Amino acid sequence: MAIAKAERLMNLALCLMNTRRPLSKKELRESIEAYREAWQGASEDAFNRMFERDKDDLRELGLVIDVDESALDGELGYLARADRNRLPEIALDAEEAAALTLAARVWQQAKMSGAASGALQKLRAAGVPFAETEGRTALEPRIPAREAAFEPLLTAARDRRPVTFEYRKAGAAAVEQRSVEPWALECWRGHWYLAGYDRDRGDARVFRLSRITGKVRAKNGAFLGTVPEHVDVRATVAKFAGEGATATATVRVRRGAGFPLRTKALNTTRVDEVWDELEIPYGNGLGADLAEFGPDVLVLGPEELRADVVDRLRAVAGLDVEGVRA
Amino acid sequence: MSNAIDQTRRMLSLVTYLRERPGAEVAEVARAFGISERELIGDLNVLPMCGTSFRGGDLLDIDTDGERIWWHNVDDVAQPLRLASDEATALLVAARAVAGLPGLRAGDREALTRAVAKIENAAGESAEGSARVGVTFEAESHVFADIDRALSEGRRLWLRYYSHGRGGMTEREVDPIRLLTEGHTYLEAWCRTSEDHRMFRLDRVAEIRVLDVPADPPRREPRDLSGGLVNPAADDPEVVVEVSSGGRWVAEYYTHDRAEELPDGGLRITLRSADPSQLRPLALRLGRDGRIVSPPELAEQARSAAREALAAYGEGQV
Repeated sequence: MAIAKAERLMNLALCLMNTRRPLSKKELRESIEAYREAWQGASEDAFNRMFERDKDDLRELGLVIDVDESALDGELGYLARADRNRLPEIALDAEEAAALTLAARVWQQAKMSGAASGALQKLRAAGVPFAETEGRTALEPRIPAREAAFEPLLTAARDRRPVTFEYRKAGAAAVEQRSVEPWALECWRGHWYLAGYDRDRGDARVFRLSRITGKVRAKNGAFLGTVPEHVDVRATVAKFAGEGATATATVRVRRGAGFPLRTKALNTTRVDEVWDELEIPYGNGLGADLAEFGPDVLVLGPEELRADVVDRLRAVAGLDVEGVRA
Repeated sequence: MSNAIDQTRRMLSLVTYLRERPGAEVAEVARAFGISERELIGDLNVLPMCGTSFRGGDLLDIDTDGERIWWHNVDDVAQPLRLASDEATALLVAARAVAGLPGLRAGDREALTRAVAKIENAAGESAEGSARVGVTFEAESHVFADIDRALSEGRRLWLRYYSHGRGGMTEREVDPIRLLTEGHTYLEAWCRTSEDHRMFRLDRVAEIRVLDVPADPPRREPRDLSGGLVNPAADDPEVVVEVSSGGRWVAEYYTHDRAEELPDGGLRITLRSADPSQLRPLALRLGRDGRIVSPPELAEQARSAAREALAAYGEGQV
């Protein structure tokens, strides 16, 4: 039976961490049973591929592996130096440790959740106290990342690799190929967004991960543009969602109805037994929001908003000659 | 079952941890590492095959009797390891997001803020990547304090709650279970009025009172929320919506069973709802961008609501 990958990776890590001089690939092959088996049982090529992948995996886990080109008479030598791999002293008290333990649980995505647990395990191994968190809080924040594009984009942003993907803009009928230098990812209202430099448009753009269709492909080569110091994905997305509006609209809302409108109203006055009049912020998408309330809301102005809502209602009422554009 | 990467990561920390604790108890180590005892025993079966040379006999001599763990040839290979970039990112992004969560107790917030600074410091350049990922939870805090009190004292709550589907306010008594935040914050509670488990969005709670009655929610296994917080039941009635390309957002916002592509970039979306009439706001919102295919009652409700609304604009006629 083939030797399990975790055992092989562990052996490679121990060999590299435990040596004072760089080890050649041949020496590692002689020391690690799984490599010897791959080399004897399969081929030189199979072993080489396995070794390269394993090094990458250990680096993903944080191990700094130095490659020495001169030490071994023309052969490359590998080692993980103790001073470059040690966690600096860290002193967390029980309160801080407990708070971190709770925070580490918020990831609902396998890779991030594994990485957060791994970080806690390293801290515990380094002597950070283990705190019981049972019953400490009834609040369970969760960070979802169900979008398939999340993981490859996170890696590409970290490694500063340009990517391509197919993207369907909001309301667009067709998908488009986009070529992007990914800068930052932001989760807002439970949805993930990417900010980056769009190579074809020559400008910064924000993408919603759920509108990325198909695979995200990382490309060779470096970023062409510079990554800004501060990327405010949230402000861009919030503006599109109608936040931060400076204009206002006047609507009538049936008494007892329209609670969400009332909570954001700047002004509420009673008209009669049936209606209140509200002044509300008028940002992107308000017409659709108001149409949801049906006969509980009557838009007084501005005129374009009133026309938008009437148009939407006519479509639903079936009074529209054009009909649905489906 | 954990994958090879997570297991390797864990075993590297495990040797450091065991080095300082001869005779460590299996149960305690499993708790400290957040894994089951079975997973830990699995790791302990692999470690004796690991070392610097399989032929030289330099393998880790670690064994366990199922209760305690012994390492007989402890050496200095097992130093505490630096945090990887992904580890620092996962931990720091989570900690910063939670520290900014409205409703967190002040003491927890302060502890977390201190911890973040220490982790940033210890992680060094591994922490840099965490600036590229941000998570914001919504600030819906006006009722947090009362819910927190009801939960810690085990008391029933009275709510005046806005039902978006019905468009009006409802009054109910609920036994709180927990608070969940995913974008918005929800109170999971046993609703005594509807005799069912319900999720209440905190920004839709208009009024709240902590009652002088002990909460008594029926004991149940925590629900599986991996697909999202608001999930329909398997036997809930089906709703079919056809949307044009302008209405594709429906598939992003509503948990659905199927979304089939239509010519012209539209979608035919099949979802489920305990009470389809609660989807009337969706039907009204769609406008030209889609229509309810079934159930026909829902389509009719939306149609008559739209006609009634138009009448107020003096637009009742074609």
